[in-house]
Amino acid sequence: MWATNLKIVGVVLGTLALYTLIANKIPQVQSEVPQALTLGTNVTPEQLVAAGEKVFTGIGGCTTCHGLGTRAPNLLTDEKGTGPIGVRCAKREPGKSCKQYLYESLADPTAYVVSGYQPIMPVMTRQLSPEQVWAAIAYLEAQGGTVDVTGDDIAKSKPASGGPTPGASPGSPGSPGLAAGSTDPKQIIQAAGCLACHKLEGQGQVIAPDLTHVGSRRDVASIRKKILDPGSSITQGYEKFAGIMPKTFGSMMSASQLEALVEYLAGHK
Amino acid sequence: MSDVLLLVQAAADTTHAYRDFPLIGARAAVWIAAEVHLMFAAFVLGVPMFAVVTEAIGIFGGDERYDRLSKEFTRLLLVAYSATAIWGAILVFFLATLYPRFWAYLTAVFGTSMWVYASLFFVESFTLYLYYYGWDRWKKGRAKLWHWTLGILLNVWGTIVMFIANSWLTYMMTPPRDITPTTDPTTIKLWHAIANATWMPINVHRLIANVVFGGAIVGAYASYRFLAARTAEERAHYDWMGYVGNFIAISALIVLPFAGYWLGREIYQYDQSMGITMMGGFMSWLWVIQAFLIAVLFLTGNYYLWVGMERIPGAERFRPYTKWLLAVLVLGAIVWGTPHTMIADSKELAAMGGSHHPFLGALGVMSAKNTAVNLMILTTFLSFLMYRRANRRPVVPWADTGTRIQGAMFLVAAGIVLFYGIRGYFVEAIVRIGYSVYQVLAVLSCILFVTVIDILMARGAQSLGAIQWGKMPPRSQYALFILAVTFTWLMGLMGFARSGIRQYWHVWQVVEDTSKYAATPALGYAARMISVCVLIFLSLVAFVFWLGGLAEKSTFVAQGEARHVGH
Repeated sequence: MWATNLKIVGVVLGTLALYTLIANKIPQVQSEVPQALTLGTNVTPEQLVAAGEKVFTGIGGCTTCHGLGTRAPNLLTDEKGTGPIGVRCAKREPGKSCKQYLYESLADPTAYVVSGYQPIMPVMTRQLSPEQVWAAIAYLEAQGGTVDVTGDDIAKSKPASGGPTPGASPGSPGSPGLAAGSTDPKQIIQAAGCLACHKLEGQGQVIAPDLTHVGSRRDVASIRKKILDPGSSITQGYEKFAGIMPKTFGSMMSASQLEALVEYLAGHK
Repeated sequence: MSDVLLLVQAAADTTHAYRDFPLIGARAAVWIAAEVHLMFAAFVLGVPMFAVVTEAIGIFGGDERYDRLSKEFTRLLLVAYSATAIWGAILVFFLATLYPRFWAYLTAVFGTSMWVYASLFFVESFTLYLYYYGWDRWKKGRAKLWHWTLGILLNVWGTIVMFIANSWLTYMMTPPRDITPTTDPTTIKLWHAIANATWMPINVHRLIANVVFGGAIVGAYASYRFLAARTAEERAHYDWMGYVGNFIAISALIVLPFAGYWLGREIYQYDQSMGITMMGGFMSWLWVIQAFLIAVLFLTGNYYLWVGMERIPGAERFRPYTKWLLAVLVLGAIVWGTPHTMIADSKELAAMGGSHHPFLGALGVMSAKNTAVNLMILTTFLSFLMYRRANRRPVVPWADTGTRIQGAMFLVAAGIVLFYGIRGYFVEAIVRIGYSVYQVLAVLSCILFVTVIDILMARGAQSLGAIQWGKMPPRSQYALFILAVTFTWLMGLMGFARSGIRQYWHVWQVVEDTSKYAATPALGYAARMISVCVLIFLSLVAFVFWLGGLAEKSTFVAQGEARHVGH
């Protein structure tokens, strides 16, 4: 029986050793606690690019989708004959420089969606600090293009009185609000990313209630309250998604923007 | 300020947030305690499910072997319950002493449910004592049914206990979105915290996984007793027991990926960045290891069935097919193991032309993986069907037609799986995700309808000879050991994935881990930890089995001696 026992122990230990060995032979990646990225006004393009690479392949999680071309366009390599992102970024949107286009892609990814792809990219300025965002832009510019990101870009993105990170808060005192302060409700809706969950006039998703006839079931006060305090009431059938809608819209919009949006939605009978 | 909040505040003010543990560190200490506790918990939840089903087969099928088998499982539970409680206590002490501030937070939110948990554990333990010690007393007539009801109650208590514990860990992963770092934990409504996004998917996933785990451990127990058996009858009994354990484990395993898919979807819906971390971020290589383990499970499970067919008269007519089944399983495993997205530096990314390999990357996407795993499930089912039919020749007049219909069902199911797998490459992601539902439905429908036809065809079937239980080569029993070790290791790996996607958060984006162990370790370290936990668990389980053997003689009974129970 001792021989059998030894064989059993051998099989168990051998199996454990095999699995442990394989797991130790593959690339070892530890998920580090993100360190605050400090880049002064005198930061060099090389420093920005080096920091941006870490953001791109690390905390930014960019490589998950920007790879094969099935989910999102290739950025580091050729994309359908247009070259890497640094070459093509200035040609994407008329009147927008490479830097402007890339910032828009990170801050308002649904503003321009490359043909053939879905609007699935998250708003990265909510997840990354201004330093990380601009470092990533510099890194992307370096892929075949010229890096023109400077320390001033980072400084301008930061809230005047050292507001919360990540990202600048558009509704903070002194800031113009969403969509550069526009009171055009359609621009506000686009900038706030409402259509990522709601449907309106045939556009958007169906994760949250359809807003096409929202004015027929909610009055002005109810819509305003819902925007400012999403948990105040939950539309029947959407209880499962309670808590998903951000509570920050009240602080992201100016008062005139909020009222313009509320009136616009209330008019959708 | 409420008393509880005062307590939390006092804990935060007067104690350090973290303490360390000698030699291995606080994280490793909590890891081992939590993991070994969870393995025992899975064992004591999975085995009662097993026991109550086998007892029912014994009662309603009139075969005393099943009743004895059920009792033998339950005997193992007695000591295992103590071990579960001991490791649970160690875990609580470690959390309270090594992570006092975080523990104070958890108790502030879940204090009430922790009291309910402790009470139910007490009730569960005494139900187990009644169930086991009343076995021989309540053996006949209506009393037997009452006894069986006790077994059901045991499962009910155990399931509720698991659901409560699951709410704590799922809250750590997916706290409701309205809870922020500044939310006073004492103001959080208990049910609001419990019913978080991943609570029910984890409940269902663990429920099924516990059945798999229970079956695998019982299989290992039976294989040990088989190898140690001194008589042919004893060997036959434990051969049969190992077969039943393996059958239940593999059957439940087939359903498990679907529950896992639901869990993954909920994680993505809750927070896309968390989902990306899990599938494409620093954990992307974990799924390659998982694929390897699943491949081992499928191959070993099928191997056990194929070897088992050697002791079934008539099975030789199916033997030529096994090489083709093996080919499908190996190809499926290779596709499933192809990485999707890999963390790489810019040079590696540029060399590959992106984060996906230019050729193999096409096999790493879900279209290919779903197709592979569904075909592997179909293949395993076919193996089982051949095993089942090995010593039977159907005599119903429509036997040939029935077999052809079964074959057609397999072909149709495989065709649907392949069709949607290929079509998935040409449609948008949102459409592609929906295709997996059609693939799963095709496979499950095939399994269901083919089984029904097979049962009808088996009526009055001509026997080609009885299964020669006990005439199994020893290598088949070592396969059962490999299955048990692999299931246990896989449980540890998936636990690491589930817990690791929180990264440097105790509670995702609510309570940050600021200890020196906040970084989530790489797979190599995790693998060493998992192996240590598995080794501790299996050593203790072996001790439990040995104790079970000391306490009472083996309960096997020869088939000829089997009496009816419950009548």
